[in-house]
This record gives sequence, C-alpha cells and structure tokens, in this order.
Amino acid sequence: MTTLTVTQNFGKGAKDIGVYKSLGGYSTIGQKLFDLSQFELIDLVTRSGLRGRGGAGFPTGMKWSFVPRNSAKPVYLVVNADEGEPGTFKDHVLMLEDPHRLIEGMILCGWALGVRTAYIYVRGEFLAAIDTLNAALKQAYEAGFLGENIKGSGYSLDIYVHRGAGAYICGEETALINSLEGFKGQPRLKPPFPAVSGAWASPTCVNNVETLMALPWILENGVEAYAAMGTPKSTGTKVFSVSGDVKRPGVYEVPLGTPLMELLESDKYCQGVVGTLKGVIPGGSSSPVLTAEEAAKANMDYESLASLKTMLGSGAVVAFNTTRSAVGMLASLTRFYAHESCGQCTPCREGTGYADRILKTVVAGKGRDGDLDHMLSLAANFSYTTICPLAIADAWPIENFIGKFRGEFDAAVSRNPEHAADRVDPAFRPGAFW
Amino acid sequence: MSNFYHMPVLPKPDTKRVTINLDGKDVEVPEGTNLVEALKTLGIATPHFCYHQDLPVSGNCRQCMVETDGPRGMALAIACYTPVRAGMKVATDRSSVKVKEARAAVMEFQLANHPLDCPICDKAGECTLQDNYMSSDRQPSRMRDDIGKQYKGSPEFRHEDSKGQERGGKHVDLGPTVILDQERCILCDRCVRFMRDVAGEEQLYINGRGDHAFLSTFPGMELSHDYDLNVSDVCPVGALTGKHFRFQQRVWLLSKTETIDPFDSLGANITVEHHDGHAWRIMPRRHPDVNKSWISNRARLEYQKLSTDRLASGRFQTAEVPLAQAVARAGELVRGGRKVAIVSSGTLTLEDNAALYALTKSLDNKAELFGGSWAPVGKPDGIAQSGDPIGNRLGLKLLGIPDNLDELVRRAKEFDVLLVVGQDLWGLDATKAKALETIPERIVLSAWHDATTAKATLSVGVRSWAEVRGTMINCQGRIQMLNAAPILPSPDLEPVWQVVSEMGKLGWTSELDAYQVAQVRIPSLTGLNYRAIGPQGRLLEGVVA
Repeated sequence: MTTLTVTQNFGKGAKDIGVYKSLGGYSTIGQKLFDLSQFELIDLVTRSGLRGRGGAGFPTGMKWSFVPRNSAKPVYLVVNADEGEPGTFKDHVLMLEDPHRLIEGMILCGWALGVRTAYIYVRGEFLAAIDTLNAALKQAYEAGFLGENIKGSGYSLDIYVHRGAGAYICGEETALINSLEGFKGQPRLKPPFPAVSGAWASPTCVNNVETLMALPWILENGVEAYAAMGTPKSTGTKVFSVSGDVKRPGVYEVPLGTPLMELLESDKYCQGVVGTLKGVIPGGSSSPVLTAEEAAKANMDYESLASLKTMLGSGAVVAFNTTRSAVGMLASLTRFYAHESCGQCTPCREGTGYADRILKTVVAGKGRDGDLDHMLSLAANFSYTTICPLAIADAWPIENFIGKFRGEFDAAVSRNPEHAADRVDPAFRPGAFW
Repeated sequence: MSNFYHMPVLPKPDTKRVTINLDGKDVEVPEGTNLVEALKTLGIATPHFCYHQDLPVSGNCRQCMVETDGPRGMALAIACYTPVRAGMKVATDRSSVKVKEARAAVMEFQLANHPLDCPICDKAGECTLQDNYMSSDRQPSRMRDDIGKQYKGSPEFRHEDSKGQERGGKHVDLGPTVILDQERCILCDRCVRFMRDVAGEEQLYINGRGDHAFLSTFPGMELSHDYDLNVSDVCPVGALTGKHFRFQQRVWLLSKTETIDPFDSLGANITVEHHDGHAWRIMPRRHPDVNKSWISNRARLEYQKLSTDRLASGRFQTAEVPLAQAVARAGELVRGGRKVAIVSSGTLTLEDNAALYALTKSLDNKAELFGGSWAPVGKPDGIAQSGDPIGNRLGLKLLGIPDNLDELVRRAKEFDVLLVVGQDLWGLDATKAKALETIPERIVLSAWHDATTAKATLSVGVRSWAEVRGTMINCQGRIQMLNAAPILPSPDLEPVWQVVSEMGKLGWTSELDAYQVAQVRIPSLTGLNYRAIGPQGRLLEGVVA
C-alpha cells in the first residue's frame, strides 16, 4: 500500500470539518506547531526535500527562506490555485475533496513566514471549488483555526478566496499578483521577486495548492518519513492527473520516481492504455512530449524526466494512442498558447499567433515546404527572450512534436498539391521593385 | 504592461563611474543607470521601442537585448532593465551573434503584424520601427503572403464597446485631439504609461491579449487631457497621430528651430518645425529639469496662431499704412515731448523689454515704464506648465520693471501718449482698460490683430515670439534662448527691440545691443553670452531662492 500524503481523505467527505478532524485533521495546529520557531519550521520543510508542485519544482524551504524576516511591511501568502495548464486537474479535485488540508497547510506556512493575511487565488471557472473553499473557511473560522489568536497561540491569520478572471497566464506568480491587486494579469519584470516585493509591494510567498497540502503530513509524520519516499532528489509523493487514452483516467498520488508505465498500466492506477501508445505528454501541455519508446524509460521524478529533456511540470500526464494525429494535437496546443499569450512581450505576442496561423494553413492542407522549418525557427526565436516562460511553453511542444513526429507533419504539408511552390512570392522580395 | 513600475535611473553629472567589460573592452560608465543610458554615454545606441527616459520601464518590446553575465553565464537580458554593476560583462550586437540574432528575431515579430503603409503614414521619417529595422534587421520577409498579417484595421475589428462607442479598426477617433490607427500599433504601452504616470489620468489601456490585443479608451470614455497630444510623440510608430498634424506635411521636409514656449513661466523647451516659410507643428524638446519630454496641448497648438490674424503692416486710425511710415509716426509721437506711458510685456524677451527700458530712459522724465499683466495666474500642473501665462515675469522683475498696471489705470489722465507693447490689455480686462481710452494717442506694437489694436490710434505690426532671437528667464531662474524661425508672414516685420530702437533713435543693430542693456541691469548675466546659454539654458545663481 502506497502511503498517501495528500489524497488520503479522498472520497471520505472530508470537506466537512468534523469528518476532517475525525480523520486526524488539524492535529498539527496546536502545541506541535506553535512550539516550533519559524526557523525550525522552515528548516524542517527544507530537510523534507519538498519541491513546488506547481510546475517549476523549486525547493519550497528555499523559497520560504527568501522571504525577509522582520519586514516593516506585511508578508502575504498567496495560494496559486489558478490551475489552467491543459491536462492538469489535480488542484481542482484536491480543493473539492479536502479543502481543510489546504487551510491547515496554509496555517503552517503562515506561521513559518509570519503571515497575517493569505489569499487563495482560484481559477475563475472553478465555481464548485470556490464554494467548497468558502464553506470550509467558514467552518475553520468557527472552529477557531482561523481569525484572531488561533487556539490561544497569539497567532492570527485571515484567509480570503479570490476568484480569477479566466487567464492562463495568471498561473505565473507575478501575473497572479497583478491580477490579485486588480490589474491586468501580466507578468512583472523581475527582479524584484515576489518574495521581496510582491503583492502590494510587500514580501509575498506564492505556493501551489498541492505543495501546501503536503505540509500537514510532513509535520505529523516527520521529515524522515517524507524524505524516505520518492528518490533522493525528488522526495515524497506527487499527485498526477492522468488523461487521454487510458482505461481509467483520474487523479493519482504516487511516490516520485514511479515509472511512467506503472502509472499508466498498473491496476491500481490507470489500468492500461487504450490502443497502442504513441506518446505521452508527461507534465502538462507545455512539457516536451515523449514518444512511446521514451515513455517506457521514464520515471516520474524531476531528474529522470529532465534527463529525457522534458519535465515533471504540474504532473499532468496525457497519453495518446496511434489513432491521434500529432499535427492536430499540436494545432490545438498552438491555438491555446496564441489565445493565452498575455500580449505583453513582442516575441510571444506576435510569435505564438504567427506560429498558430502557419500551422492552421498546414492543417487546412495548404502547407508549403519550409513552413515547418519556419515554425521551428520562430519557436527558437521567441524562446528565452520574454519576461515569463509562456513563450517557451509554446516553443517546446512545437519543437518536440515536429521533431519527434516529423513524418506526420511532412505528410500534412504534402497534402497540398502545390506544396513545392515558393513560400514567398518572389515579387515581394526586396529588389523586385527597385 | 508590468504594473510594478520603476522609473529608469538616468546618469547625472555627479554619478559615480565604474568599469564594465563591454564587448571585451573595459569602459567606464555611470553606475546604477540602466544599460541603454550607460551605453548612450559611450555613444552606442541600443534599439528599443517601449523604453522612454521619462516613463517607467515596462520592458515589453524586447528589442534592446544584450548579453550580460549572470549566475548561469552570459545570457540575454533587456538593456533597459539591467542596471550597471561594477565589473559586469556586457556584450552587444557588436560582439555577440546571439544578441544580433535576438534583435533581428524581435524585429521580425514586431513587423509580423505591422502593415507596410509607410508611404501614407505620418510617422514615416521619424519612425522608430523604420529606424530599428535599418539598424537591427534588414532581412526580407519570410511571411507567406497567403498567411498574411493580423490586420487590425479591417472592419471585422470594428466593434461597439459596452457603452455603445465605436472602437477598433481603422482610424479610431479616440477623443478631441488624437486618432488611433490600430493596425500600426506595436503595443509598447508607452501611451498607456504616459497617461497613467505622467498625465495622472488613466484614459488608455490595452484591451485583450496576444496578437489580437488593441489599444482603447475605457468604454464610453474618450482620450481627453491637457497633455494628451504627447501620446503621439511617445508613440514609436504612426498609431497615434494628432488631428492637427495628420496628413499635413511629410516630416522629412521640416526644418527645426529650437526655442521655448513664452506663454508659460516654466518656459517649456520646444522646437518650431517649419517648411517653406510656414510653421507646421511644435514638438517638445527634452529638458530634464524643465519640461522633461512633455508640452501641453496649449503650447503645442500655439503654432496655429502664428499664421492667423497677423498684424503685418501699420495702421493709423482706420487706414492701413506701410510699416516704416507707422514706425516713424510712432517715433515722432513718443519723442514729441509729451508725457508717455510705456507698457511692457512679460511675454516678450528680455531684449525687447530692455529696449523699452532704454527708450524710457532716453525720454528722461517725459516717459514712465509700466509692467505687469491682468492675465489670471493658475497653479503648476506638475508636468510642464507653471500655470503663470507670463513667460518672462521673472525677467521683468530682474530688469526692475514694476508690476503696476493698475497704477497706470489710476493715473491715466496724466499721460498724453500710451505705448502698449505685446500686451492685449483690452482683451484681458476691457473694464480696467477703459480708463486708458482717455489717453489721446494710443500706440500699440503687436504681432496680432486683437482688442487692443482695435482701440489703438496707431498700431505697428511686429514679429511674433517664434520669429525673434532673444532670451527669457523662467520661474526657476533659468535663462533660456528663443530662436527665430524663418516663417515671417511679411518680410518687413521687425522684432520689438528694433522697432523701439528706431522709435527712440537708439541706433541698435542687433538683439545683442539690447541684451547688453539687460546684462547691465541684471548682474548675474555678466559674462553670459548667447552661446553660453545654449539650447538647454543656464540656471542663474541666487535668482530664485
């Protein structure tokens, strides 16, 4: 039996505080927590090896240690629940099933950082999750876990739920902060980083839902127990949202380092692939795609996937079989990123849209030779030149889908009977007029 | 639109200089400033669109790429948001292929959806996009013509906002002064930042996302502000154009004359841009301590008056007379031994007023010099206006000309001749001025037909502020130069000092003679000639506490 650290209360009705407490919830909020100093708690999280579960996998303890102590300004905790990455749906389910674990995690983090006010920035479309969270917050206030002087400790914490307005980019922490402040959700220039100057120019810690929900288990069962799970560099467990051509798609918590094929094939999890596996997107739509051969070698941890030049990301595994068209899949991804580019930086704003328009003509059977190389060149040009990584999140699928399924793309281009004609009319070349 | 704003750090004369390694060579640059400014001090231009010295850094155009050394080795960074650190390594396109390629790549993206309508675009010739294409790209288009551009000027981008106002598409009327051609916009958000952070009223915003984003006013609102025409200056392309200059003149035909705005005591630095003897527009001229890069719409549209309602000849009673004859007649009246009241003007130069001073002196106790104005004085707006419409008020004070118009009204009966120079007394306060109508001989020197010339028995046309060379002292105690643009409505017109010199037979041959008189009166001008004043003016010490 795998130890579950985040999803153990699934299906048990834990959205009610009574059930949650009877399952051992909120047991850390008391002497166990308040006897710890801030430094001890941060040190504890650092030693657990917990890494951010939102996508980048940044060590959580280190992130917390960047938040200045004794700042003259308030320290804010913002929970990033703006889960928008195509293929990802774990946070949604986590908040629906076990909202109190998130609140408990937030209290722990709040104590570690000296937070007085915390926000949960929830994706606007998650109406049910917002209702669940608000109901849970109300219960937590009534039970004295939130508000003034929590459990007689002298520590006070208020939590507000903020509903996003439907932009993928607001999952980027500085865009999220802008949106939270009421501005247009566009990433900020860095530095300063949010830990120093985030929401309302105050120190701000932005953490993913799942990251915070892992904290109660760590505090309760000890750092060593958590670090013992997973691999030495990717400790603990991770919640994966598996979708696509598998028999039983869903949200599964497995120890990091679990082979990808085990996740897809095991009876405990997805119970096997429908049809013949063609490839897997291992960590959300922006992570480079794996072919079936690569997927067979992949373990679901940060290092193993990095060695395959892809990433764990948000843990959104999308498996697809041989009946799926790589061209069509990439076309829907480029359309997504062109639509969701915030429009701030030139390369991303113009490049994602332009790449999408090219691919659309290819899908429509009007591709020309050189279109694919032009797309690859555009993708290379808009990577690493922008404020945030959205452009890279578009470039990686373009480079990997075209790179790994080139035959399909070439076939799509040659469906155009005139595919060999000049891409650019020679009449438009400089020198033609003068 | 990074909403977390940082004003750029600009180099000052006393900024500490540190050594950095630029393209493999050690150079000294001001510490802490951004690399765009630091490289500028070395004479190296960095192409950019969204960066502007007087606006907060937004960092969205990505054109000013350089490579700097970071924790992971040399990496691309935007120069406008990278501060100079001692010992840092910087590579520009001169040494780094990566930078060159990144800039060319960004340029391709900038142009991906930009129309090629330069031949009919007002910005052509002073367009940042054209300039940067020549400096960073110069590559042919790789775009298939059947894929085409996202053409935001097309009717399908036209829509009604939630308050029923037409927005989007070609030539959008944003308000009373500015028109938007959305398809040309490169979404650098300079105009948004100008309105929010300089004008202080957020009237523009970028609506939507991605390559279908567009600039707009808020629903049901318009762009309307005393400074809104500055958005067409900061616009790096021809997206925002002022209605007053749209399709008027190709900018490469325009010659520029550097001068200042005389109708505000801050003396905003401007250029009068003219072609073929006609002023076509006024543009701000950057002065870090006076008006930054901004001028008010009032100052900008001042050029329109230069060619309307001009008094280009003399006028005796109701008959038009040649200028020379009018000047001679005025001289006879003034020198005729009768009691003369001379009214000076704070919107004229120090030279003109020095001439009036000298004229008064030459007439001994027969003449008296009055000064001041009835124009209402407003409050500083914190941008580029002090609110005081008398540009040279401080200059007059230093010359020793009193502020005593009301006294003149009281004592009007004592005088036989009134000489009003460059002031519209009747236009500003006809009730007060009525008392002056008891003075039998009323001579007016004016550049325009106005209420005062209408009351004059003898009026003499003179050159306007844009057609003379001279100096004014602004409210900060800064002496600044006006220069003469070749836009005279009539070749016979003379500047005030010259007319006054002829009337009083002072025998002056240039404005320098007048300036010398001012130098004698104002000790802090000693040794300060026109060249020393220069295009940026000179702060006079101890004039303003």
